[in-house]
Amino acid sequence: MTGFRDARTLDTATVLEPDLAIIGGGPAGISLALSLAGTKLNILLLESGGENFESQNQKMYAGSIGEQSYIALDAGRLRFLGGGTNHWGGWCRPMDEIDFEARSWMPHSGWPFPRKALEPYFPRAQALVEAGPWIYDQKGDAETASRGSVLPLGKGGLYTSWFQFSKMRGDVLPTQFGKRYKDELTRAANITPLLQANITAIRLSPDARRVERLDVATFESNGGAGKRFTVRPRFVVLAAGGMENARLLLASNDVMKAGVGNQNDLVGRFFADNPIPRDVATLVSFAGPLAPFYGSNQKLDDGAIMRATFAPTAAFCRSAQVAGSLSTIEQPIELDDLGKAAVVTTAIALGVDASNAKAYSLGCGMELTPDPDRRLTLTGEKDSLGLPRLKLEMRIADEEFARYRRTLGEMGRQLLASGTGMLRIDKHSRDDWMKTMDWGHHHVGTTRMHADPKQGVVNADSRVHGLSNLYIAGSSVFPTYGASNPTMNLIALTLRLADHLKKVTA
Amino acid sequence: MRRRALIVGLAAAGAAVAAGLYRFTDLFVKHYPPTPYDDVLAALTDREQAARFGAAVAGMADANDLAEKLRPVLKSGGLDTAVKADIAADRLTEVGGWVVPQSVAQISALAAKN
Ligand SMILES: Cc1cc2nc3c(=O)[nH]c(=O)nc-3n(C[C@H](O)[C@H](O)[C@H](O)COP(=O)(O)OP(=O)(O)OC[C@H]3O[C@@H](n4cnc5c(N)ncnc54)[C@H](O)[C@@H]3O)c2cc1C
Repeated sequence: MTGFRDARTLDTATVLEPDLAIIGGGPAGISLALSLAGTKLNILLLESGGENFESQNQKMYAGSIGEQSYIALDAGRLRFLGGGTNHWGGWCRPMDEIDFEARSWMPHSGWPFPRKALEPYFPRAQALVEAGPWIYDQKGDAETASRGSVLPLGKGGLYTSWFQFSKMRGDVLPTQFGKRYKDELTRAANITPLLQANITAIRLSPDARRVERLDVATFESNGGAGKRFTVRPRFVVLAAGGMENARLLLASNDVMKAGVGNQNDLVGRFFADNPIPRDVATLVSFAGPLAPFYGSNQKLDDGAIMRATFAPTAAFCRSAQVAGSLSTIEQPIELDDLGKAAVVTTAIALGVDASNAKAYSLGCGMELTPDPDRRLTLTGEKDSLGLPRLKLEMRIADEEFARYRRTLGEMGRQLLASGTGMLRIDKHSRDDWMKTMDWGHHHVGTTRMHADPKQGVVNADSRVHGLSNLYIAGSSVFPTYGASNPTMNLIALTLRLADHLKKVTA
Repeated sequence: MRRRALIVGLAAAGAAVAAGLYRFTDLFVKHYPPTPYDDVLAALTDREQAARFGAAVAGMADANDLAEKLRPVLKSGGLDTAVKADIAADRLTEVGGWVVPQSVAQISALAAKN
């Protein structure tokens, strides 16, 4: 049985027995399946949705939010083949080495391995997101030199770093994994993508040592509950997204009463996203307009799409005890009278000509500190297939803003020191930050990775502690997050998992 | 001959009027009443903009104290040297959110007080 199938066409008594069941057909699930194509594994890729948006499936994502505001849980996700890539922005940047380190000033930080362990998988991940040749910080300045010069910030805590973008098709969104890889999935003789297949429970053996089976349910086309059937896989990879991974584990609580893998009360905790406050600061370039790659995406001849950002160096993060952040030029702005006076006075004092000075607003993607109380829990409310809904308790501490303010302060110092410009910090209170707050929709941390079962849900191989055949793919396993967008990174991690699975299933 | 004298006389009168306008009005250049800190404020090329900026400096010392702080710094090399020394020593401050060297904030505040 290969090629795409619709779960609604299966009989209720059906029992499917693949070698590997992958739960979720987003970029994690699809990348995993593709990287195991052509192996001896008989793979079932179970996807809740179909090939396009359907409201009955999407409604299963609805949930509630605690006191701190956040995006509605069914607004920042899409429940059909391709998952979040059906509406993603295509921003890519590899995580930095320091993102993997245990940082003394950041509780609960650190991965069980360094970035080096992911590096062999970056090229393939980059190819899967179709972001062109690997340029980023290694060659970003040189490759974009024909478009202008990077802002000379001189020695200090921040430098010009580079995003790349998943390829655009005219004005169509970047690579949508469901559409882009449908043919490859169809062609793979050992993969059966099963659409309209909602996993409603992960059933463990009575000794709680392994997954025995998965309960699967479908909707009727009129939206009512449809068939229920069973999958008995040798191995399972949960790849249902950063929130849903936790939900399925917590809701599967017949053998392990706290939920699968939740023996240490960690599942659903440490949720994070990248806060994206807008208009955080005003950057003035004394010499006039910045190179175009600071404010807009630039398509290079080799197909790469690049955009510059300001990132903190690892040394500065350590000395100033700040978290990761990526500060990006938003748009040119006009200065008010005070701003003009600040620029004239400071530039004259520095002995610099600022008669062509140009001002820009800055936005940012911030890294949050891991926080066990920023968490997802189940509520008493259930979706139409009987799965308890999620509640998110979002939290963002004032200290997070204070840290990022230190980074902005350093950028201001560097601009002055290099005589290239100056900076105004536009956020002074928590309200200021929250007023212009966007979020990355980067759901991370809820099934965190740690070698110690008391501190993590999965081990360094992404296997759920205590269970021999259950693995998790996706950014829910990120124990620390960085400020880079997660998708290319989570794909690299998934490819690493694929290599591991090749070994353990052989 | 008389005509020449007339032209010279008119030119001299014009120059005197221009000099008067320059010296006693703000038409060509802004004039400030003398202060005990003119030696410090002389370091500012655009005192008007500095005063505008300085008005946003919160909680600054009084003018005497500011001048006392700035005098030795300026004497040892001028405003640009003072500014560079501030940056090197990380003596930066925020004025209306603007990250500026301390001496820029101080001299601007002094300008705003006069
Ligand atoms: C508006 C927006 C913009 C974004 N922009 C960027 C960006 O520019 N760069 C970036 O790196 N990231 C971006 N992201 C984040 C990106 O979309 C996610 O990181 C990525 O999609 C996560 O991949 P995933 O496969 O782990 O999960 P998902 O993409 O969420 O896929 C999970 C899949 O599992 C399926 N599923 C869920 N529950 C079940 C179940 N019970 N049974 C069976 N199947 C199930 C879902 O239908 C879905 O197809 C953006 C997200 C949003 C919302």
